[in-house]
Amino acid sequence: MGEAHAEVTENSYTIRPNFHHKFRTGPVKTCIQKVLKETLLNKEYIPEEVPQLTKSLSETIKNKLKEIGFDRYKIVVQVVIGEQRGEGVKMAARCFWDADTDNYAQEVFMNDSLFCVVAAFGCFYY
Amino acid sequence: MHHQRRKTREDTWRSDELKKHLRSSYSSVQGEEKKPRERRLQRDDDVDSDRDLRPRNKEKEERHKYREGDRERHRELDKAHHEDWERELDRIKEKEQRARKEKSREKDRGTDRKLKEGALHADLEFGLEEYGRKELSRTKERPRRRGSEDLVEKEKQRIEDRERRHQERKEKEGRIKVNGQTKDKHESMSGYRDPEREHRRRKLKETDPEFPNADKEKRYRDRKEQENAEREKRYRTVQEVDLLHDKERRHRSSKEEPQGFTAQDLEEKRKEKRYRERALLDEDRERRHRERKERAEKEERRKRDYERPKHRRLEESLKHKPAADIHSGRDEQGQEKTFGKDKESANSEESERKLVAESSEVVHENYSANYEEDFEDYADDFEEEEEEEEVVEDDGDARVDTEPAEKLNGISSAKRAEIEEIQKAINAENERVAAFPPRHSQSVLEREQRKDPQDFKNKMPHRGKYIDFVTAKHRQISQKITDKQKKRSMELLRLIDLDFSITFSFLDLAPVNEYDMYIRNFGKRNTKQVYVQCNEDCVDRDLQTDEIDTIDKWTQHPGESALVSGGPSNSQALSLDAPLIPKIDSQKLANFLRSACQVIAVLLEEDRAERQTVQNLNSQETNLSISNGCFQLNTNLPFLHERKISRLHFSQVQRHVLLTVHDLPQDLSTVRLDRKYIICVWNIWEPSIPQKILVCEAQIKCCCFSPGKATLVFAGTVDGSVVMWDLRENSSMHHCKKIINTDWIFRSPTFSTDGILTTVNHVCSVEAIEPVPTSVSKMQNHGLSRLESQEEMLGLSFQIASLDENGILNLWVVIELQTVDPAGSQSDLGLIPGGRVKLVHSSAVHLISSFFPKDITCLETPQTLNIKFLPLDSNHFVIGTDIGVVIHGTRHGLRVPPKVYRPQQYGTRPVRVTSIDFSPFGEPAFLVGCSDGSIRLHFMIAQYPIMQWNDSTKGQSIVAVRWALTRPTVFFVLDATSNIYIWDLLESDLHPAAKETIRSDKVMDMDVLGEPEKNSGLLGLAFAKKSGLLEIQYLKKKWAISQPEEAKMLHKILQEAV
Repeated sequence: MGEAHAEVTENSYTIRPNFHHKFRTGPVKTCIQKVLKETLLNKEYIPEEVPQLTKSLSETIKNKLKEIGFDRYKIVVQVVIGEQRGEGVKMAARCFWDADTDNYAQEVFMNDSLFCVVAAFGCFYY
Repeated sequence: MHHQRRKTREDTWRSDELKKHLRSSYSSVQGEEKKPRERRLQRDDDVDSDRDLRPRNKEKEERHKYREGDRERHRELDKAHHEDWERELDRIKEKEQRARKEKSREKDRGTDRKLKEGALHADLEFGLEEYGRKELSRTKERPRRRGSEDLVEKEKQRIEDRERRHQERKEKEGRIKVNGQTKDKHESMSGYRDPEREHRRRKLKETDPEFPNADKEKRYRDRKEQENAEREKRYRTVQEVDLLHDKERRHRSSKEEPQGFTAQDLEEKRKEKRYRERALLDEDRERRHRERKERAEKEERRKRDYERPKHRRLEESLKHKPAADIHSGRDEQGQEKTFGKDKESANSEESERKLVAESSEVVHENYSANYEEDFEDYADDFEEEEEEEEVVEDDGDARVDTEPAEKLNGISSAKRAEIEEIQKAINAENERVAAFPPRHSQSVLEREQRKDPQDFKNKMPHRGKYIDFVTAKHRQISQKITDKQKKRSMELLRLIDLDFSITFSFLDLAPVNEYDMYIRNFGKRNTKQVYVQCNEDCVDRDLQTDEIDTIDKWTQHPGESALVSGGPSNSQALSLDAPLIPKIDSQKLANFLRSACQVIAVLLEEDRAERQTVQNLNSQETNLSISNGCFQLNTNLPFLHERKISRLHFSQVQRHVLLTVHDLPQDLSTVRLDRKYIICVWNIWEPSIPQKILVCEAQIKCCCFSPGKATLVFAGTVDGSVVMWDLRENSSMHHCKKIINTDWIFRSPTFSTDGILTTVNHVCSVEAIEPVPTSVSKMQNHGLSRLESQEEMLGLSFQIASLDENGILNLWVVIELQTVDPAGSQSDLGLIPGGRVKLVHSSAVHLISSFFPKDITCLETPQTLNIKFLPLDSNHFVIGTDIGVVIHGTRHGLRVPPKVYRPQQYGTRPVRVTSIDFSPFGEPAFLVGCSDGSIRLHFMIAQYPIMQWNDSTKGQSIVAVRWALTRPTVFFVLDATSNIYIWDLLESDLHPAAKETIRSDKVMDMDVLGEPEKNSGLLGLAFAKKSGLLEIQYLKKKWAISQPEEAKMLHKILQEAV
């Protein structure tokens, strides 16, 4: 009986996000892009200020994404800012996740003195 | 039963796994909380049977079992010792007791090992109980020990704190141990006791370093043994009381257990187990309770360290009561087993209990002794004390065994020594075993048992709750949540597939090369990009081709003549290209043609002229009386129309070549050559057309031929220039003009001094121009062959003298150029392009200053009008002036008198000398015609004339005076009124022999035509008429054919006159 009960509850689990609330790349990207443009346009790379900048950026972006309303999503925002000095840079990510529900969006911003890579991952809470 | 048991073990294992699982899943922080929570749950168990309780209890049971297992092992060991000892004891003392014990034990062993274990366990616990009681009594009896007890308690708490930290670890190890040790237990149970002991003894020797510890213990033991003996007595009374209690309790328990110990073994076992479980449960509960309380206590202890002693005393006085109560449950176990056996065993148990109490006493002292050291070396404390505890524990056990032996003081020392040795070995063994952590749990248990009562009763009510419930509740909630989540995750994970995504590439920035970087930073630094050509792309290329053939050509613009272009013909190339062309000696051909052409032309002219003469004679009756025939040169040409002929001049060498100077026509519009003066070169045998037509810009005052062959024509102009034509020039060099269907070639001057040589050139009109005769040719014979003179002329240059009216005589050297420059010379600007002959100024003679006598020049400067060179000697020349005198001059050398040839009248008159003519027959005499009509005959050496005729022309001006070429004594005179007078000195020297007047037209000039060499009698007079007609009259024979000795006659006349 107990097990049967468990199965009943099991069936009520939401294991797929609502279509409207699904983490889609497009709006997230635009959101990130907007924030980056506002913040980083004409910004110079100052090594002392960058750590704080990344933190504030990631916070801002996370909050903005939350406002978009991805229900039951945990949002992870990673911000990397580096100086543009002509060196080659490679950045990649790999995720262990449920590809049906989870997604990510990524945006790169560059100006003359710095580049900024923002990756926002959305993981669904079952 | 077995089945059940097996199941529980499996469950145990499972729960172990679960525990492990949980432990790993919960954080280490939670691990700390576990104990209280469990404890709390246990308490809940009592109140309301929670569903969670069961597994927990089970878990707890299992844990107890481990501990029990541990204990069992010990017990078995003990038992082994026991048996050894008992064997000895049996020999020495109380055979019945031994027999009974053996019997019961064997029976137990036979039926169930566990029963025995339980008994042993009970024994042990009883001993501990005893200890507790002893403690109680001790607190009463020996208050001085309180301090040490406090320390002990502190020590315990400390240990327990540490234990709590490490309990889990130990439990784990213990669990493992249990498995291993149960096996050992079986082995040991199989009956190999002695060998095992031997082995242990050997081990003892091997582990000698542990001896000091053992020795120390032994020392303690020895010291205590006396005390123990005393204490034993004291305790016994207490124990008796306790025993009564126990009995009551036993009765109670027997009531609880209706079957009693008389029930079947199976049932007994079951019961036993149940009881044990319960007991263990209780124990566990107690222990946990204690732990919790102790923790709380520890916290508070810090706060009130001073108050503590009072409280402690109170607590400790109360401490043992609950412990006793609690232990009652456990005791029942043992009681069940031991109850029905006999009193003896109970006694032995009692004694054992005492020993345990003693041993625990030892422990306490140990603690107190080690106390300070412990504080100093806190880090190592834990393990050391653990060890010590173990030692104590084992000691206790050992003491249990050894005590009976010690009781027998009477036993031989050898035996004793042996016993002691064994004891040592056992101790060592125990120590060695104690080195393994699992024991700890048991020791903890024991200590807990000891400590529990005080904590439980005194501290829990007012302290534990208020701390525990809040945090514990939280913990529980979080525990629940995590449980739920875990469950959820377990269930969901089955439904969800997690997979590795592909690797997302966020950023791939290629390294920028140096140049790009430079360019990127370029505009930022006040710089500007500039492109520079550095000639790298300028590449030289060579191409070898055949040599280019070049031919020089020239052109002229404006093309004034037919020859406007030319150049050297590449004869070599032509010959190479056309080898088949036959070789033609063009020079030879040209010469042939020239001569043949002349001959033919002359023949044709003669033929025509004959017919014309016939016509003229027939038609015109205009023949002069003096002449027997005449003909006209054809001047009726378009360009000669209405041009007045001002001068006539026959070549001295080629007598048939005539020059005519044509002035400008009155009607200027008729012909195009208006503005140009023309000289025509005539061959009188070709009267129809002039041979050459020469044009000149300026008015020509005088002209002459070259002294040799008539190839060059010289002329002097009004504007002072001397011009020259080379008649040999190709007609293509000159301008060709088509006038009324006939091409006429108008030759421009080959050389002109006009505009060049201004320093030496004449500044006024040239009045006369004469070639300077070469004296040789003239000296020999004027009838010399033409060829000679021609040859002379070819190689030699000659001079031309030009005289202007200011008395300046210029001598020019005529030079024929070897090379012809068809493009024109750069240095000789007067030379026509392609011209071969030029004039070079040789010298200038100022006649007036050098030759004119002072008496003539003093009044006025006379004009010079004529010049004639003495034919025999070109060094001498005579100059006609406008004052009637003729000046005698020489080119070089001494001046020869007379200087001046004067007329017969004295003084000078304004009379122009119009004409001077030397006698052609070699006599140094000349005729002078003057403008006043007088004619004078001068001899070269006489100042005054030989003869002078003043009125022969009736005052008319003399125009020309000419000697006849064929008769030495005849001369012709032309006056201004066109009267022609023929003088024959042989006939008469006073009057002219004949007079003829030409009325039709005014005669402008007259010259004599004749061939003195041929002696043919041909003598003619050429008349240039104003109308432009050119008429030649053949004179009659009487004037033409010379008389014999006529020359001598002339000579005689001249000599007579002188």
